[in-house]
Parts: sequence; structure tokens; C-alpha cells
Amino acid sequence: MNAGQKSARQLASRSSWRPQDPICLSCRISRRRHASSAAAAAVEQPAPLQTIPPATSTSSPPQAYALKAGVVLCRPPQITRDLQPFEKAFFLYQRRLNERLALPFTRYFYFKKDTPADIEWKRKAKTRLTAARDIGVYHAYGKEGWNDEVLVGAKESEPEWQVEALLKDMEVPAAGEASAGAQAGAMVEKREEVERPMSRVTEADRRGDVKSLDRLLQRSLYLVVKNGEGRWTFPCDRLIGREGLHLAAERILVQAGGVNMNTWVVGNAPIGYFHADFPKGIMNEEKNVEEVGEKVFFMKARIMAGQANLEQNKFGLQDFKWLAKEELEKTVTARYWSAIRNMLADR
Amino acid sequence: MALRELGSIFGLASRSGTRPVVRCANLPIRRYASTDATQDLEPASSFSAPPPSEDIVKSYDPVAQSRRRGRRLPPSRYQFRPPKYYRGPLHPHQPPPPSDPSSRVFQPGPFSLPRLEQTYQSTIQPDLMTLAYTHFPPGYTAPPKGARLRSWEGASPYFKNRPLRGPRGSDVLRLLRQPTTFRNVPKLTGVTVHSMVKEANEDPAVLDVAKMVVQAITNARTKVHKARMSVIQWGHREGRVVSVTADLTGEDMYHFLGKTIDVVLPRIKDWKGVKGSSGDSSGNLTFGLSAENVASFPEIEVNYDMYPPKMIPGCHVTVHTSATNDRDARLLLSSIGIPFYGKLVD
Repeated sequence: MNAGQKSARQLASRSSWRPQDPICLSCRISRRRHASSAAAAAVEQPAPLQTIPPATSTSSPPQAYALKAGVVLCRPPQITRDLQPFEKAFFLYQRRLNERLALPFTRYFYFKKDTPADIEWKRKAKTRLTAARDIGVYHAYGKEGWNDEVLVGAKESEPEWQVEALLKDMEVPAAGEASAGAQAGAMVEKREEVERPMSRVTEADRRGDVKSLDRLLQRSLYLVVKNGEGRWTFPCDRLIGREGLHLAAERILVQAGGVNMNTWVVGNAPIGYFHADFPKGIMNEEKNVEEVGEKVFFMKARIMAGQANLEQNKFGLQDFKWLAKEELEKTVTARYWSAIRNMLADR
Repeated sequence: MALRELGSIFGLASRSGTRPVVRCANLPIRRYASTDATQDLEPASSFSAPPPSEDIVKSYDPVAQSRRRGRRLPPSRYQFRPPKYYRGPLHPHQPPPPSDPSSRVFQPGPFSLPRLEQTYQSTIQPDLMTLAYTHFPPGYTAPPKGARLRSWEGASPYFKNRPLRGPRGSDVLRLLRQPTTFRNVPKLTGVTVHSMVKEANEDPAVLDVAKMVVQAITNARTKVHKARMSVIQWGHREGRVVSVTADLTGEDMYHFLGKTIDVVLPRIKDWKGVKGSSGDSSGNLTFGLSAENVASFPEIEVNYDMYPPKMIPGCHVTVHTSATNDRDARLLLSSIGIPFYGKLVD
């Protein structure tokens, strides 16, 4: 799916590579294309590219931005989201309408006559009046079938209530007592317990543990770290040598969070960027440029297993947190937030 | 750099000028197109309206009310009969929309928000978008492409106004792959479950079992298909019923794929995955399930004994995606959990 990227790279590799070149790869490509088209039609001159001054003056070093790669490490939602009240009510109403419109349940196809399962079915159907197990007591074919809407405050539309109803239906009478209970015609008290689903709220949620990956199972969580200056950001670092953003992201993940994380860096293109201007230019002796600011390009990554460990980190990071989107807004600076808000998932 | 300088010049001018400018160093203030529109919106909403008071809620009991009434209300008070025939847009008696429960074509649903759909929206779709993103620098114009259909070259007078020739090498025009944007990320559009039963040639009753099985696992009504021509080797005779299909979309599709991927496929012993050469080269992939696999669907398992012995059929499952080539479709399917093996053919 990445044919365009590949060809862009090929184009770039064919062009003469200058590590000191302050112009980015895609701009260089577009400049070449413009140059070639300009040969054909001299009228079209690349206007925006004139803003980049040529590095000619020998007295003062050329100005450039410090290029950095950042990693947005994300744990995707683990469970389905909670339904809105309207959705709950709508789904229950549609189920009841379906019960009214569908053909009656064919008991003979599912239960052989006079088997224990058949008797059990008849007993259950008598109490809830309908074949569906999770729509409450409702007789769709009866005289009051029109009463298909539940009243304010009814529990039938709550998913918790429906799960309970399904589990209650799954419970089978303990062996030996079924026949006795059926003969007596009374409700069988002793029943085998059915395994309950796990809670949607975890221990980490109750403790408010922001370092755990088990928190907020319905939401995407993002790894933020506290850097040496005490600011919360996504882990980031300078690009070293000729490495691309993808390689840099993989390196940063290991150098910041340790090797105990099974991660996947999604794609080769960044999903967002943050840029800041320094109050005063900083001289970079290594590249012989004056850095007037920094540009951080964020790569998206997913964590599959493991946990971050900052003990061995190489960036002087102090702390980390796994935060959802709205918690991030309160943690990072307003300027940083305005740069990252649109690349984070809503859920 | 020039732009940066321009900004600093503006900043100097504003500071030295007479008009005071509100400094907003930290607060990112943006104007959006919707900013003005929000002022026109009415602030009042039915959501903010207070609910009915406690005693009204407590005292409202429609069933008791109708029982107290004793007699039946005339049907005209509560029954709306949509017109039996559509008499055109100008007729005063218009049928209600199909989503209205009083409509004659009303189908209830949806009944749930499938898990696979939620996973697709929250995780898979953004990842596919990131993977397929192609950067075009500002000022980029796509190079013009040549026409896909060829004209007829030659001296023959019959080439005049003749419909254009197909592409070189093949008769068909393949679907074009557009650059992926947030609008056209590949997604699931449908599933077709198809089951052909050879024995139905001799005994059409065998097809009824297949019908019940496919209906049970898909939750959709099946269609029956007849053989178009006689094939001696397969025992087909023209006009005899041979197969059933069920077309799934929306909620049914997500539930069917979800239980296939999470329950049925992991139970298959020594299953390598879906063959990599599967696909119709326009984004629709097919895989097969044997009779034992179909029997391990939870809906069949729950009353396996009620189906006639050895008459549960196998089936083919075709997954339709909005991708225009098999490569993208395979990427989508492997991201929802279907493995592929062997040589991948695009």
C-alpha cells in the first residue's frame, strides 16, 4: 500500500545526498520536479521554495531546525465501549419489535419432546413469556403486545441486567434435583454457578494507577514521559546520522522504555509534528549549523505486550504515565497539546 | 527563515505601535469555519430539559390504564395503515420511510454494536490509514496517465467510430487503486456464505438441511440457486436446485465474521490459514469451511443432534471489501485476524 512512499524514496536516493542539506526530502523532490517542469514551461516558477535561503554566506553558519523523531506509543482499546443511554434504549426497543414481527420460536427443532431440556425450556418460557432471553418479561403475541416500550428507570435496557439475565438462563439445575423440582412444579433453588464475565473496571482503575496498562480498558492509552526539564512529552530524540523516522522510532522506544516492550511502529510516515522556536539560536558544532528551533515528527506505534521501564533510559527521563486523550490535555503544555490533539484517537 | 523574520517584524511592529495587542503566547487561539456557526445554534436542547417529575413518572402505567378502560379503542386512534401501493410523489397518502415501524417494509434492527465493528473503527482503520499514507508535497500535481483503452489503428474504414479496444494483454479493465485518504480506507462491505450440496441433485430435501444450517450460522434468509447447465462429472442436471447462499451486511456480517474468527477458525486442527492466492483481484477474498468446521459453529453445536446425520454441508465464505485490489483486502483481513499462507498473489 506504500508504493508512493517507495517511489519517493527511490527518487531521493537517485538525487545527490547531502547530509548537511537543511531542506527536507519531499521538498527536495518537489524542487527537482519543479526544476524539470520549469525547463519545459519557464512561466511556472516555484514561488514557495524561494523562502529557503541558499547556504552561501561563509561568515555565519547556516540556520536550521533540529530534527527530532517522537513516538506516540499507543495501547488500543481492549473492550467494547459503554453504550449511550439512547443506544441502550434503541437496541432494546428494536429487539422487542423484532419479537413482535418474527415468526414464533420453533421449539420442536431445538428440543426433542419430553426431554429434560424441553421441560426446562417450557418452564423458562412460562416465566418470561417470550423466546428471547434478555428483553425482560414481554409477551409479543399477547393482548398487551403493544406495550413494547419500557418505562423510565426500567432496568431491562441496561447491559448489566441483560448479562445477568443470560447467565441466569444458562444456569442448569444441579443433577438429581431436576426431576424432583420439575415434579414438584416449584422453582429449583440449587443451581450450578456459571462463570461470570470479568469486570469492565479493573483494579488499576480503582487504585488510580496511571502506570498500569490495565487501566481504562475502553480507551486508547498513550505513553508520556517526564523529561529532564520536568515537562511531560512523548518520548523523542534527535535523528542520528542517516536513519529514517521509522528506525529512529524503534531506537527511541528501546532507549527510553527498555527492551521489555513488544511494540510495532506503524508505517513509515509521521502522523503529526510539533515545532518550537528557541529564544536564541544554538550552535551545533557537529553539523556546523545554528539551530533556531526544533521540529519533532511523531511516529505511531502500538504496544502488544510488556511494560515501560525507565531505569536504563538514555534521555534522562524521570517518570512515565499511560494516559487517555483527555488526561493528556491536562498533563502536557497547552502549546504541545494544540500540536498533538488531532493525531490522537477519540476513543 | 524569511517567514520567521516576517513574524518577528510583525511582532516588533505590534509592540511599538499604538494599538495594544493581546499577547497569547501560551493560548493557541484559532479561528475555525465552525466558530461563527456555533453562535447561530440555539443553546436550548431537549437533553438539557428537565425530566418529568417523580410523581408523574411513578403514576404513569399504560397497561393499567388500558385495563381500566375495559373496552378497545377504535383502531383509527392508534393504527396507521400505510398505503398498499406507492402512487407517486404527488399523491397525498405517502408511505412512511422504511425505518418507521408502521412501514410495510420495516425490518427491525440493529440490535447491538458489534465488537468487530468497534475494533475496526477504533484501531484497524487508523492503522491502515497510517500504513497507506502517501505524502504529496505542496505543489504536487499527479503526472497525467495515458488512456486505458486503445484506439483502433489501421487503414480499415470499419475502425471509424468503433468502440475502443481493451487494454493490452487482457480483456477486462481492472479497478483503479486510488490514493488512500481518510475517506476510502478499505472496509468490510459484505459477506456471502455459499454452500453447494451435490446430493441435492438426487434428493432436493438435502438442500433443506443446508438451508437451515446456513440460516442458523448467519442469521439471514438464504436464497436457493439452480444449476444453469448440466455437468455430467458433477452429476448436475440443468434446472435442479444445487446450492444456497446467504448475503450478509452490517451487523450480521460483523457478528458472523467475529464468531468465525474467534470461535471456529481457532478450533480447526492443522489449519494453515487462507490460501494466499485467494481473491478475485478486485478486493474480494474467499475461503472454505469443511463440514466439520461448520458443525463447530456455536449455533450448530447447541443442538447438533437435531440435524440429520452426515448432512451438515461445508461452505465457502466470500468476504467483500471496499479495497480495489487483493493486496489491500488481504491487509484488512489479516488485521482482523485471518491468517494467510503460501504464495501471495495480487
